[in-house]
Amino acid sequence: MRISYEWLGDFLDLDGVTPKDAADVLTRLGVEVESLTMVDLSNIVIGKVLEQKPHPKSRTPLWIHQVDIGVRVEQIIAGAPNAVPGTLVPVALPGTTVPNGKVVKDMNIAGFKASGMLCSADELMLGEDHSGILLLDRGKPGDPLTSIIPSQAIMEAEITSNRPDCMGHLGVARELAAGLGRPMKRDFMPSFTGTADPPGRELVKVSVDDPDLCSRYIGGVIKGVRVGRSPDWMQRRLRACGVRPINNIVDITNYVLFEYAQPLHAFDLARLNGPAIHVRRAREKEKLLSLDGVVRDLTPDMLVIADALRPVAIAGVIGGEETAVTTATTDILLESANFNGASVRQTSRALGLRTEASSRFERALPPELALAGARRAASLIAELAGGTVHREWADVYPRPQQPVRVILRPALIDDVLGTHVPLEEAESILKRLNFHVKVMGDGEWDVLPPVFRLDVTIPEDLVEEVGRVHGYDRVPPTLPGRRHERWTPATPSLDRRLDAIREVLAGAGYSETWSPALVSGRQLEALRIAAHAMRVSNPLSDDMDTLRTSLLPSLMDAMALNRDRGRLDIRIYEIAEAYLARVGDHNGGQPEEPLRLAALASAGATADEGRDALYRLKSVLDGCVAAMSAPSCMYDRASAELFHPGRCAAVMLDGRQLGYIGELHPTVSAGAGIDGRVVAFEVDVEPMVAESRIPRAQPLPRFPRVQRDLAVIVDETVAAGVLHTAIKEVAGDLLEHVRAFDEYRGAQVSEGHKSVAFTLTFRSPERTLTDAEVDKVMAEIKLGLEKRHRARFRE
Amino acid sequence: MTDPSALTAEAVAAIGKAQTSAELERLEVEYLGRKSGRVSKLLEGIDKLSPEERAALGKAVNESKRAIEEALSGRRSQLEENRLADLAETEAIDVTFPGPPLDRGHVHVLTQVRRQIETVLESLGYQVELGPEVETEWYNFEALNITAGHPAREMWDSFYFSPELLLRAHTSPVQIHAMQRIKEPPIYIITPGRCYRRDAPEATRLPYFSQVEGLAVDKGLTFGDLKGTLLYMIQSLYGRERKVRVRPSFFPFTEPSFEFDVSCGICGGMGCKSCRHKGWLEVGGCGMVHPQVLRNGGIDPAQWNGYAWGFGIERMAMLKHDVDDIRLFYESDLRFLEQF
Ligand SMILES: [Zn+2]
Repeated sequence: MRISYEWLGDFLDLDGVTPKDAADVLTRLGVEVESLTMVDLSNIVIGKVLEQKPHPKSRTPLWIHQVDIGVRVEQIIAGAPNAVPGTLVPVALPGTTVPNGKVVKDMNIAGFKASGMLCSADELMLGEDHSGILLLDRGKPGDPLTSIIPSQAIMEAEITSNRPDCMGHLGVARELAAGLGRPMKRDFMPSFTGTADPPGRELVKVSVDDPDLCSRYIGGVIKGVRVGRSPDWMQRRLRACGVRPINNIVDITNYVLFEYAQPLHAFDLARLNGPAIHVRRAREKEKLLSLDGVVRDLTPDMLVIADALRPVAIAGVIGGEETAVTTATTDILLESANFNGASVRQTSRALGLRTEASSRFERALPPELALAGARRAASLIAELAGGTVHREWADVYPRPQQPVRVILRPALIDDVLGTHVPLEEAESILKRLNFHVKVMGDGEWDVLPPVFRLDVTIPEDLVEEVGRVHGYDRVPPTLPGRRHERWTPATPSLDRRLDAIREVLAGAGYSETWSPALVSGRQLEALRIAAHAMRVSNPLSDDMDTLRTSLLPSLMDAMALNRDRGRLDIRIYEIAEAYLARVGDHNGGQPEEPLRLAALASAGATADEGRDALYRLKSVLDGCVAAMSAPSCMYDRASAELFHPGRCAAVMLDGRQLGYIGELHPTVSAGAGIDGRVVAFEVDVEPMVAESRIPRAQPLPRFPRVQRDLAVIVDETVAAGVLHTAIKEVAGDLLEHVRAFDEYRGAQVSEGHKSVAFTLTFRSPERTLTDAEVDKVMAEIKLGLEKRHRARFRE
Repeated sequence: MTDPSALTAEAVAAIGKAQTSAELERLEVEYLGRKSGRVSKLLEGIDKLSPEERAALGKAVNESKRAIEEALSGRRSQLEENRLADLAETEAIDVTFPGPPLDRGHVHVLTQVRRQIETVLESLGYQVELGPEVETEWYNFEALNITAGHPAREMWDSFYFSPELLLRAHTSPVQIHAMQRIKEPPIYIITPGRCYRRDAPEATRLPYFSQVEGLAVDKGLTFGDLKGTLLYMIQSLYGRERKVRVRPSFFPFTEPSFEFDVSCGICGGMGCKSCRHKGWLEVGGCGMVHPQVLRNGGIDPAQWNGYAWGFGIERMAMLKHDVDDIRLFYESDLRFLEQF
């Protein structure tokens, strides 16, 4: 909300308090001032236009003015025609900087001297209007403009949702007064009431259908008003709040909104049918032409103000054009009501229309405010627009606001804050904030919050009131530390345990990404991995409408992006959740959220490059598993969505499938916009963590090892992994380690066969092995492989 | 027959002139070779000599051997000394020539910052708690005292799957889960994780982000304890010269509620361009846990009280590393990721 410093001065003495001081005090109290704009008007003078002639030579229309600035008459040229002789205008003389930053210079415009500038409201930052010169309604030529308009300071403040009372200057002033320890010059409830007969409630009948949606409706009748221009000071303050002045009646309702935070509406009484007011739900297919010129389709969950025939306003949101106050209006019905916040919010959302009124009602205003606002507006109308205010307004108040009492054990203040606030200070703070405090016999305080503070309901709320005025910066920082009889031993977090994997991946040249979990559902469907996808029912856009079921599409997008930006060799990974709706439970219950590790690497262009890259990636995955101190994983040939049909393996850990590793299917990588081959894996992390063991030290070998190579020629279809298993099974205890290191097809091997070369390491923990011993085991291995896989051997 | 002493003199002279160890090796073979060395050859025909002559010759030959060996090892160490003395010239390389690029992968900056935050708070005895991202309405709102129709719900515009199920708007639901699980305080936990709000992406906010919240439930906790905890955390992460400012604010799940700021690291709080002349940079929200929230977690507010605070990991990383656009964290551009 925008707060005018000048306006705050209506309610308390601001002597010696600069706008910056006020902003600091308010921020400390919880009204966070986000920016402060100072408008210095001290170097602008008041001028009186003596003569206005069109510029004879200029191609664009310009006007030459003779302006009396007290000590002399200056010739000033302007583009707007509204500064006619006799008007009072703000003048910026050469050498001055006007508030919007423009520097005024002596000029010569097409042969005519121009000594200064006539200022618009926009240039003086007194409003947005830049269509003409700002005309003044009083002032003496030559006097500084500040003799009639004080220099301005506008604060942009963030009002928390629990404080609707601070959505008006009165509430903000009250905070400031409490913070500064200065008295308020004005009471909350104005004493003004109407006196004219007959009673207003006899002139307009008011009925309310649903007290839950409208807890109060006041309709005041004022007759014989003169609709016209509102005074400069009011227009200026409205502009400061970002509102365009319209006419005195509408301006007054807006003014009271920005003062009291109570939204008001004025109907032209003559244009109301009945005249009667019926607060009801809209009927099917009803429409309303609203004040902003839009025809609004109404639905039965919207609350409207209707006359005898039709809706005339949408409750708490906007009024109707057909019953609006115009220059022809003489009699008005002034509405000051209290509408249900949730209902107003819902309506305002449905209409896509947020107004100053709706943003206040949404925060749940106190019904007592309606009367204060109505009285304030009526007194301003009587003062500024004439008119007779009728006595005894219609006031339908089916749910009177109930006072809330809060019992406070004053020691709670020190207990919660962790500092000592003397009781007298605490009591005085509450009183400054208009709370009534009664000290009871047992020392407890019976506290009655003011009617405009519906947010205070529990003792802790009172602690907050005391704390923020006392000053939270005065509370010494401490660390909690008591004698605990119970504790939880420290355990590393899951993410910290996974740092072991990150170390392996960093060493292998893989960089970590964090990509959004909300992805395009269409993309998942195209990849055929949308079966368990959770769809957001109110997405921001269709590229973020579904929770990902796999990390791979995100990594593919990341790879495509980096390739577009000139990177060729890309290795990336991510550790994050996938989201899988439980079977038969689409969007009905919470999904599974398995933590996944996925990696992606570019793998050249040729089939051989792709194969080599995949073998390297397997080593990376093995390294990750080893870093978690989990048993080694096994790879079984498999087929899976996203993967190349001939180059994909299921990753198995202790009989459980962790996920897949392989080369991406060429159509998948091409579809993601990646040219060239890509290898990838995606595995569940939790089984790896579950299988993780503390490594136990093994005694270092005391005897030398013996290494032998073995080239096994088998049928194409026999996998290296199978041979590996067979070798281990046949070899017995002396075989320490076996690893395939080469695969060969070609001239030396017959058609349909391949040669797989293994390195075997033998060692005994008890003695140095002899060649004869090793030869014997090798012979057994060969025999076993011959029998099981019809293997032959290359020398 | 050659005179042993003449042969020795000849060998020693040759050794003295040798310039390389290869030359020395050749000389060693020439003179001391086991069978065909010239010293061994001195003994040819020794069996034709008298025992006295034999003894004399044997002695002379041994002396010759020793003298030559001595000369060899002397010359060897001299040559080695010379070689070492000349290394600066003989083996000099251009040390300004760059090494080949190291293919080092980078841990994401948000992981690094999350790691720092966890480490700092673990040092105060807090432990990490995790919870689901797809939450029920009750845990995300109701349990946190944000009742339906509460005006504050505006602060958490959320993504829904069904009226009952949504993407959590903060990690606060984990606090409720933790209270229900642990049951009996003391509870000192932190809850890092992803959250979602229905805000259009821009430089300062995203519809998805990561949060860390801290929760302490114990006997007799005070606002001063909350303030001290924040100060400890901020100073540990950003340096001991940093200050923390706590401003009153409003959240339904804490009472009193605050926002907390850190003093600007560039101007030290005086106000400058990077803090928009405020001297302070907003970090997060905090407060004393609302008694109703404790009750909703199954904890008796008459016996226990608590404080909680929360902030965005991205925000912390932006403040720490001068990142001016939050979207960079999630874009996966390696040119950005490799800066950390
Ligand atoms: Zn600064």
